[in-house]
Amino acid sequence: MSTNPHSAGRSGLELSKFRNLPVILIVAGAIGAGLGVAASGKGVTQFAFSWLLAFMFALSLCMGGLFLVIVHHLFDASWSVPTRRLCEHLACLLAPTMLILFLPIAILAKTIYPWMRLTNPDHAVQSKYPLFTTPGYYIASAILFGIWWLYSNRLRYWSLRQDETGSADCTRRMRFFAASGVVLFALTLTLAAILWMKGLMSEWYSTMYGVTYFAASIWVTLPTVYVITLILQRTTVLGNLVKEKTYYMLGSLFLAFTVFWAYVNFSQYFIIWNANMPEETFWYVLREKGTWDVVGKYIIIFGHFFIPFVMLLRIDFKLKLATMLPLAAWAWAMHFVDLEFQIMPAVHPNTILTPGLLSDLGCVLLFTGVLMIVFIRSLNRHPLYPLKDPRIAEAMDVYVPPAAEVSVTPQGAK
Amino acid sequence: MPASYAILAEYETPAAVLHAAGKVRDAGYRHWDVFTPFPVHGMDGAMGIRNSKVGWFSFIGGCTGYTTGMLMIWFMNAYDYRIVIGGKPMFSPFAAFPPSYELTILFGAFGALLGMLFLNRLPRLHHPLLKNRRFAMATHDRFFVVIETSDPQYSEIETRQLLESLGSRHIEMVEE
Amino acid sequence: MAAQPVLDERSLIKVQAPPASLEREPLVGSQHGPGWLSDRIAGVIEGETPGWWKISFAISVTMMTVCFALILYLMSTGVGIWGLQHPVMWGYAIINFVWWIGIGHAGTLISAILFLLRQRWRTSINRAAEAMTIFAVMCAGIFPLIHIGRIWYGWWLFPVPNSNGIWPQFRSPLMWDVFAVSTYFTVSVLFWYMGLIPDLAVMRDRAKTKIRKFSYGLFALGWTGSNRHWSNYEKAYLILAGLSTPLVLSVHSIVSLDFSVSQLPGWHTTIFPPYFVAGAVYSGFGMVLTLLVPLRRMLKLEEIITVRHVELMCKVTLATGSIVGYAYGMEFFIAWYSGNPYERFLFLQNRAADPFILGPLFHVPPAPYWWAFWTMVTCNVVVPQFFWFKKVRTSMLAVFFLSILVNVGMWFERFVIVITSLHREFLPSNWGYYGPTWVDILQFLGTFGLFFTFFLLFLRYIPLIAIAEVKGVTPQADPHHPLGGAKVGGKH
Repeated sequence: MSTNPHSAGRSGLELSKFRNLPVILIVAGAIGAGLGVAASGKGVTQFAFSWLLAFMFALSLCMGGLFLVIVHHLFDASWSVPTRRLCEHLACLLAPTMLILFLPIAILAKTIYPWMRLTNPDHAVQSKYPLFTTPGYYIASAILFGIWWLYSNRLRYWSLRQDETGSADCTRRMRFFAASGVVLFALTLTLAAILWMKGLMSEWYSTMYGVTYFAASIWVTLPTVYVITLILQRTTVLGNLVKEKTYYMLGSLFLAFTVFWAYVNFSQYFIIWNANMPEETFWYVLREKGTWDVVGKYIIIFGHFFIPFVMLLRIDFKLKLATMLPLAAWAWAMHFVDLEFQIMPAVHPNTILTPGLLSDLGCVLLFTGVLMIVFIRSLNRHPLYPLKDPRIAEAMDVYVPPAAEVSVTPQGAK
Repeated sequence: MPASYAILAEYETPAAVLHAAGKVRDAGYRHWDVFTPFPVHGMDGAMGIRNSKVGWFSFIGGCTGYTTGMLMIWFMNAYDYRIVIGGKPMFSPFAAFPPSYELTILFGAFGALLGMLFLNRLPRLHHPLLKNRRFAMATHDRFFVVIETSDPQYSEIETRQLLESLGSRHIEMVEE
Repeated sequence: MAAQPVLDERSLIKVQAPPASLEREPLVGSQHGPGWLSDRIAGVIEGETPGWWKISFAISVTMMTVCFALILYLMSTGVGIWGLQHPVMWGYAIINFVWWIGIGHAGTLISAILFLLRQRWRTSINRAAEAMTIFAVMCAGIFPLIHIGRIWYGWWLFPVPNSNGIWPQFRSPLMWDVFAVSTYFTVSVLFWYMGLIPDLAVMRDRAKTKIRKFSYGLFALGWTGSNRHWSNYEKAYLILAGLSTPLVLSVHSIVSLDFSVSQLPGWHTTIFPPYFVAGAVYSGFGMVLTLLVPLRRMLKLEEIITVRHVELMCKVTLATGSIVGYAYGMEFFIAWYSGNPYERFLFLQNRAADPFILGPLFHVPPAPYWWAFWTMVTCNVVVPQFFWFKKVRTSMLAVFFLSILVNVGMWFERFVIVITSLHREFLPSNWGYYGPTWVDILQFLGTFGLFFTFFLLFLRYIPLIAIAEVKGVTPQADPHHPLGGAKVGGKH
């Protein structure tokens, strides 16, 4: 296991070449969004929905990062030591970056959510009192960001403290935040998915909804972390730290979440399909109109599930840049399509292929650029990996006698 | 005196037998094997064994199972004796999915187990090694390298010397 | 971009041993070698039959006999001897079925999912847990078969045409169940048996008597421990683990579809499949703990099934119990969120409204089964939270006691799902109240007899811990570890 599949041929990715990438993404994204909004003819509505989609996309990655940090501590894992710091940075994007990026949604909430516009709330909205009221919406959103800020921030704080002290106390504190955090993570993610996404059609309900967004989020985060690790490994000191098992586990989890995502989505659809009750089926019926039908029946089933599933079954595919880089890009594309399917029938009931698609893409690029800037800044500010993690010897497959320290080069122990 | 089947060398630690296996492979032997009480990590590499083919048996089993399930349900409910139930289509890939899925796994599992037994040529009721008293320790805590006399490289003296030089303290011949 | 502390490619990574308080505990408590493990585990079988075994066996067989006698009574008389009556036409039989099959899930989870997750601690407990799975599925399988009333028509469930040339219809979740459960049983047996092959060879090579040598040898299929065999074996094991994982998820998902594809409030909800799976694993780990905590003591296996194992199982129980809690919460939340009056009525007035707090608070009469509901919540959501504390996880008495409550809670969960949803549905003129008869209760208890009879036989004749696998996770088995023969300072 100690041979490193990616250490050979380290030249391929040179970071400095991509220094301007975030800015390019932001500019291109803004232009795309502007053109898309202008061409769609829906003006600010289109912009608001595109922004919401991009926000939910970015939220997936940040929540995914938070989740990976939490489970790292809960499982007391060693394979994830090399990726932990970057997951912590991902999680810390939740606040304040994502909070600031949420402001357009907060301002345009009335444009986005039909229930907010009702002067006489119907039964479906009334029964959600007080959550589905304008103050309820803002208070709930504020609570979500508050909790995320607290947990992502504390988890990184103690992790950075441990870089200096190396004390077991830091690990214990991180475990405390991970243990209490996993409960709050589940609740907040569910509420976020319901409040910001399911609320677009407030008459519809499904107990599975939070789980489907969770599955999709972790699913898209895993290959993202894989690729970031790979880039860092080829360009930085992480190269000496990352072993094959980290990639293998990330790839396996990617496979597992491919299946899990399909499982929960199939279950939701299947149960609604079988019971055939109009108060539930209408949500899917709306998504069988026009090109949405093709998206749901073919692109998502084959693209989101079948292709990654078949590819990831092979062990060697999980360890090759040549397969994982395209797969990661593919996962991004599929997550984008999935969110289109969840969100956009509310504005474009007949087809996914509108100029609005350009503005959706533009917003996602813009978000990516902004998040990249903050993320890279965090990377540069702090050590790239948890320097004194108690499992670091195990992560490197090195046997260190108690109370000793060993220096390691790629060749092995010295 | 019965003919010799193989030469058997005993080792005491997995590290020793792993090392020995690598050397025996490098010496170019072909009809030989390592016997351990548990799978030793890295031994496949040391012996130069290629990735097992069990996966194919399982894969073919699984595909057969899925096809069987889908065809069976289509035949029974949509072709041979059609009954309308709950306004559902006569055949729908959704309703037929759960049983077909189960059959995929069932056949795939049989493929894996039977494939493993087939590739290992098991069950085998008789084996020269199983008669050897010392060899009973192979399921206990000892590690054995066995080189068959049928190996073209085999030579009574050199092979024994090789195994001895690799740290074996007990070497004996196994009868046919 | 000010300080860039570590960006030099050639810089070394300093690796230090973890602080003493965070050192990993060894998987096997002692520093004995592989031979000791064989002696210890096989010793359980080779020793004298203990007194407690004989007593427990006698009791189990008696209870099993009661179970079969009552099945005969049922066959000769009809399902009227049960407490079923309109509108509750699914009673103890289905509750017990779901309960037992759920228990089985822990075995597969331990043997398959933990294997895929590289959780090496599973090796000490997987054999017993898999045995538990098989026997639990046997107990479960009895109920759907006998609940059809005319048992001699049971073959209509198989894909053969009945006497009118009609095939079973596959749009019914009950048919899916037949396939799921029978596949589950078969694959569990295959997986279990495959894991047994090397250990049967161990028993064969140790056997002192002719009969033992012959019978263990027969089932060991001529296993020699050849590495060429191990190579195929490990691959097949990995594949079976890979197949069992989606299988175990699908089995309880399909069981949940029995309920959720209907339109009944309390049954029809989309979260049912993962919720049932989590609940099944939760109850299964409860049962594994109930069985192994006393066994490790009685059979003196504390060094192999260590406190750490118990602790880890407690953590799985905590995790799955909390997922179940999330699902309960989602059901309530969505019942409120949907504004669907039937959903709201069911969750408040059929289940949750107790006579003391919620009833008065919402001005509704107490739910007829509020006691069942709150037993369920207490046992499934509150009880596992105790496992947050290391003190509780390491106290065997506390773990044993709580694990029984887990089982009680999960039985009540199925009771709540089946009974409270059925007894008062859409039409008030259709309402009723369900209670079991003595036959229901004795038949349920009788299945424990069946379960323990098989489990005790297993303990006596088959190595209850996977010998070869445990050997493989000791430091002595690692060729890169000093204890495995490597030079000091080698790799982990």
